[in-house]
Amino acid sequence: MTPAYIIQTLVSFLAILMLVGIAWWAKIARHAPDLDEASARALIADEFPDHAVGAVWVAADHRSALARSGDEALIVYRAGDGYVARSTPWVRLAEGRPGKGGVALKLADFTAPRARFTLAEGATWPPASLGDAP
Amino acid sequence: MKIDLITLATPFFILAVILEIVLARFARTTTHYEAKDTMTSLGMGLGSQVFGLLTAGLVIAATLWVWQHRIFTIPMTAWWAWVAIFFLEDLVYYWFHRLSHERRFWWAAHVNHHSSQHYNLSTALRQTWTGGVNGSWLLWLPLAFVGFPPPMIAIEKSVSLIYQFWIHTEAIRRLPTPLEYVLNTPSHHRVHHARNPRYLDSNYAGILIVWDRMFGTFVAEDEAEPPRYGIVKNLGDFNIIRAAFHEWVGIAQDIARDPRHTLGYLFGPPGWSPDGSRQTSDQIKAAWRARQPSLASGSDNPIAPRAASRR
Repeated sequence: MTPAYIIQTLVSFLAILMLVGIAWWAKIARHAPDLDEASARALIADEFPDHAVGAVWVAADHRSALARSGDEALIVYRAGDGYVARSTPWVRLAEGRPGKGGVALKLADFTAPRARFTLAEGATWPPASLGDAP
Repeated sequence: MKIDLITLATPFFILAVILEIVLARFARTTTHYEAKDTMTSLGMGLGSQVFGLLTAGLVIAATLWVWQHRIFTIPMTAWWAWVAIFFLEDLVYYWFHRLSHERRFWWAAHVNHHSSQHYNLSTALRQTWTGGVNGSWLLWLPLAFVGFPPPMIAIEKSVSLIYQFWIHTEAIRRLPTPLEYVLNTPSHHRVHHARNPRYLDSNYAGILIVWDRMFGTFVAEDEAEPPRYGIVKNLGDFNIIRAAFHEWVGIAQDIARDPRHTLGYLFGPPGWSPDGSRQTSDQIKAAWRARQPSLASGSDNPIAPRAASRR
């Protein structure tokens, strides 16, 4: 590794910081509207097209949503200006402990380790509107 | 002689990214940049240069060794040699790229290039950190065996990589029809980066889209169904280490859980599982096709891009 290579790498790193700064300044991220029940249902239908879905629950901050399909919990949550979808066994929702601001649910998935759900004051977990864990 | 066209092209890459951002800022294109996503993409690009050093010596030594045992001696000064290597290298790239999508051992190194939910010029720089370790570079050795000098192969590979930079954009909709027929274009490559079931595993071309047309993997962009970018199961955050290694971790976890199916997990298609609990691209596409008659109207998903907004 020559000095020239090290300098080139450092300059590249500075260029990256500059480009990220410009991207941040430009404010041209996608418009990701807050989820309501209809939009959450549509998103879940797109991500889990072969699942029958009953009621849909939307987190208090409208950034994540949850639906039940049989023994599965179907989850969507915002990451940046996009959304990420995962399913997990419904019974595992009980492992999420409501804490300050909501629930952080471990997903046992290296690619998406946890989903966060903001709860309204006094709300129960798992959401009562989706039924109790079996 | 040291040939590094990529380094020479880097200032052009930077200026092009700035131009794309500025055009989007002033509403001249519909391109989107998310700062954290951009950081991951560009960090992957820099990291790929660093990680590439780890295996560069092996790749160069192997190529030189094969060339020393070549069948013919092809001169770098002959025009026909450049024409020949243009087509042959592009054909090799097509099969390398197809292998990188259709077999998990190679997908594990390539998946990070597709892990952004964005499609812009920074996505082009989201390059692999582990491409040197899965042996995909072996596919280029026959060119040296035939007799193409290693510097010639290196130049042509760089030309291909540089060509593929500019097609990672939504700013350019379509090129004139004759060019769309022959070349890999932004439109064709948008399809390649899409996660919509109908677009999965298509358009593997480097420079010439004719290979996809010949081998049956071409899919045209449908204005009625704009691409949704990323991978089937998008990453849950922007952690660069996760982006670089997540599929390797997935392979290791699968093998540790069920070592009897090691070969399937390594060399089966991405999404393969012995019990069918996960879906391959072919299965996702088959399920999508089966659903088509029941799709009376378009999606109400507010996150999905709208065809009308792209026109």
